[in-house]
Amino acid sequence: MASCTYTVPDKAASGDNFYGAVICNQAYVDYFWNTYGFSGNKAYWDDGWGWDDCCNTSKPLARAFNGCYALTYSASDYLNDSYSAPILNWGRRYVRENIDDLRSFCGDGTAIARSKSGGLVEVYLGFFYSKDVPGRAETLIHESRHQGGKPHDANFPSGSVFGSGKSGADSSWDYEGAWMYGALYLWWYFAEGARTTSALRQRARQRGNLVIDNAFATHPGFSI
Amino acid sequence: MPSKSFDTPFLATPDTLEIRQAEHPFSFLNSKDEKLNALIVEAVNRMGGVGDDAEENYRRALNSLTKRGPSVLDVILAEYENLPEDSYLDRWSLVQLIVELRYPEAVKSLNRIIAARIPAEKFRKSHDMSTVAEEVMIRTTAVEGLVRLSADGVDEARDVLLKYAAHRTFSIRRACVQGLMQTGTDDDKRKLRRLLKERKEEALLKIKQVDVRSAPQPIGGRFVVPAQVKREAPPPDLRATKE
Repeated sequence: MASCTYTVPDKAASGDNFYGAVICNQAYVDYFWNTYGFSGNKAYWDDGWGWDDCCNTSKPLARAFNGCYALTYSASDYLNDSYSAPILNWGRRYVRENIDDLRSFCGDGTAIARSKSGGLVEVYLGFFYSKDVPGRAETLIHESRHQGGKPHDANFPSGSVFGSGKSGADSSWDYEGAWMYGALYLWWYFAEGARTTSALRQRARQRGNLVIDNAFATHPGFSI
Repeated sequence: MPSKSFDTPFLATPDTLEIRQAEHPFSFLNSKDEKLNALIVEAVNRMGGVGDDAEENYRRALNSLTKRGPSVLDVILAEYENLPEDSYLDRWSLVQLIVELRYPEAVKSLNRIIAARIPAEKFRKSHDMSTVAEEVMIRTTAVEGLVRLSADGVDEARDVLLKYAAHRTFSIRRACVQGLMQTGTDDDKRKLRRLLKERKEEALLKIKQVDVRSAPQPIGGRFVVPAQVKREAPPPDLRATKE
């Protein structure tokens, strides 16, 4: 067991202020809890993580729910989660079909999230407090892709902000790995994200371009 | 949906977390104009809005701030520079604000933001956390501000874009090159091509901004959940039922 403390940053630009007011409805709490891998994992969301205070966006559970709201409702036609639609539509379906257990931990400060065997995804403090709301949706999609059978298969290219030559990159866009899924989700969020602001969509664009520029051994040759 | 286990009492001991609520991130040490300070806070706050009226509310906040004129830039830049280095999202929000206000006078501020040294990586062992990445996103957002000003005909913005087309960070170079090729004059583009040739970086010209619909899309799905098992999400605009 680890104990951790965290000073909660301002919630304005991250989106947590406003998403927080929306997710505080039992219908959403029930849906997110039962759909995205929280169910059966109460112990991992208790003891300060927000299980008994799930509308408090200073706490991790509400901030995870905010990410789940963005994941679920950012396509204007969110009820269409067909795999023939854009990833903005089916990202939520891919997450619910690939993450069986979503658990929170303090972490050691070296990762936002990790994908473990058997549908288990662990999320750490950075997921809640350094990621904006659409960025949390991106992380869930990224980790779901690992659960879907695609590990990283290359080293980061020279000059990458993630560390030149380190492992953890994807070889190419066509590999259709976790970085591609995350970047493409952000790209669609920038292009067609609904129920959000142009500022958060610009944030998604900047993050998406950063991933495209730095997380593939071979640059895809395009940008957002 | 796979059936899930009940929330069985836990025998091991999971991690515990104690949170501390931070004070307001902005200090406004250089601004005693409380109305202006409140407008800045409101505009940043509305950036994170959600719902069908989120963009409308954000635009309204920006319009109120715009009425105060370009003198707000000094206050915003001072706040940016007074924030702790690791307040990445708050710092980014102030840069985004400068970008949105679209004042020609912002070139100096944006130049200063991009020129600032990027501190060394604090998460060297991580593959998904990067403080350098956060710093680069702040600067590519500043580049976006220069691109918009360049499109508005601000010559100084184009000069700065040309300068940072030789930046040491790839994403910043790439953003400057694309921005100048899209908004620069023929003379700017000639100078840019010459610079890239000297640096043997003409490949940057081949990276094109494209519409997401023309990018290769993945084939999603490992398996398909039968329709009778799928549970539909509630509508997105239910009101909160408790605080």
